[in-house]
Amino acid sequence: MESQSTRTVRIFRYDPEKGGEGAFQTYKLDIPDPNTTTILDVLLRIQKEQDSTLAFRFACRVNMCGSCGMVINGREGLACKTNVCDLPAGQDITLRPLNHFPVVKDLVVDMGPFFAKYEDALPFFEPLEKRTEPYIIKPDDPNRVDIGMATDCIACGCCVSSCTMVDNHDSYCGPAALNRAFTLLADTRDALFEARLTRALDSCYNCRTEFNCTEVCPKSISGTRAIKYIQRLALKNLKSVRPLPPHPAETAAAHAPEKAAAAPETPPPAHPCACGGVDASRRSFLKSATGIVGAGVVISLGAVLGTAAVGPTLNDLPSQWVDAGKDKDFPVGKIVSVTLRYSRTQAFHKENKQFPVLVRRDSEKDFICFSSICTHLGCAVTWDELSNRFRCACHGGAFDRDGKVIAGPPPSPLPRLPWKLENGILKVEVV
Amino acid sequence: MNNASDLEYRKPMQWGELDPYRRGRTHVGMWAWLLQRVSAVFIVVLLVLHLCFTYKPYLQFLLLLAVALHASLGLRVILLDFNLAKISSARRLVPWTLILGVAAVVIAWFAIY
Repeated sequence: MESQSTRTVRIFRYDPEKGGEGAFQTYKLDIPDPNTTTILDVLLRIQKEQDSTLAFRFACRVNMCGSCGMVINGREGLACKTNVCDLPAGQDITLRPLNHFPVVKDLVVDMGPFFAKYEDALPFFEPLEKRTEPYIIKPDDPNRVDIGMATDCIACGCCVSSCTMVDNHDSYCGPAALNRAFTLLADTRDALFEARLTRALDSCYNCRTEFNCTEVCPKSISGTRAIKYIQRLALKNLKSVRPLPPHPAETAAAHAPEKAAAAPETPPPAHPCACGGVDASRRSFLKSATGIVGAGVVISLGAVLGTAAVGPTLNDLPSQWVDAGKDKDFPVGKIVSVTLRYSRTQAFHKENKQFPVLVRRDSEKDFICFSSICTHLGCAVTWDELSNRFRCACHGGAFDRDGKVIAGPPPSPLPRLPWKLENGILKVEVV
Repeated sequence: MNNASDLEYRKPMQWGELDPYRRGRTHVGMWAWLLQRVSAVFIVVLLVLHLCFTYKPYLQFLLLLAVALHASLGLRVILLDFNLAKISSARRLVPWTLILGVAAVVIAWFAIY
């Protein structure tokens, strides 16, 4: 019985009387000519031949009414527009209701949230002036060109189902509603420009430029283009944009006790999914989450940048070779005092240093360089030829010819500095 | 309306829920968006590492790559935002900007080392 043309069809089933999560049910169907068989044909045949309880919507069958939107093998589309041959070879036909809408039964979804958001974008034309004569709009009119085919939307809900942002942001109207707002915003005959722009702006920055809505639209309308157009329009008309009045849900929390006492018959908000329906707890959560994340970023970046800025000053200072003078200036067997002048760079700080050293020359090639800073409290040490010792004037410290302590309070001998002779010039390494 | 409320609706299906072929048939714009977000996370991590361990060529290369991917995809969004590129070229822009980004990485890398 199973021939080459038999295909497996998996259809999502949900029975509202049984409830639960719903699951796929598998059917086998012979499709002799996939090129001329639409998914809607498949559904009708299964309903007629195999399972009469299968529920799905359709009306026009010619891609005009937008009733049969569903997820076909992972992509949203109209069942009447998608042929079996359009699906990738080797994949079972897998049908599933649209995302982000409550499922009524099988492939039928409740489009209520969609139209609540649609209405919120003010999808109707309000004339700016009363006219009896029809408008004459030429095909090359810039507004007409901008709007293009965007008025062809059939409100099938495919774009909203494919958008990953609609579900993350309750206040996001979705591509279809914003596309409708765009067609009217770009129309100079319309009177509701400011109100519509304000409402559209409240949600259009949730678009993340994923182009999912553009890819799935059965009418080849780009929701992303409409949203980008509104964003650019807002830049040009910043003054016309006014903050929206607070949503009832936001003030409800503050007035909840008195409202409950005074007016228990207050009508509930039009629809839970309507635009702007951000409840207060979500908003405060977002605020605190933003604060915590922001503080974390500031602290971590600040720590890293601060360490980078201050770090070099904590490191050991780089040493450098400084000229002490020509070797002719240092007679053999004598001890000469020289002051080294050089600049020292430490991180962002540059300083000019004067560093006195004592140079002892024993022979042609033998030098010893002492720091002339007393190891006791840092006074200058001088060579006293008569007593043959280094003397510190401050507290009577005395060092012998080799810098060893022979009298007074200094705790350690005079430090010796590395030196070298280069082209007849004595160089001393200092920090 | 009253009849409808008697029925129990299944809660809305989520993007990708019970959708075996969704991931394999995702459009390129979605991947571009995801790559940009992931590269942003990598930039933050690698930047901290880069400041802690300077002059590590391997780390520098990864950071350069992450920045280039993030920047090239960001340029694509800027082009589309300000209508500097046609909206119909959105799909083509993804590979082109990425190729330019990687080319910039290669040039910068060989200019430095």
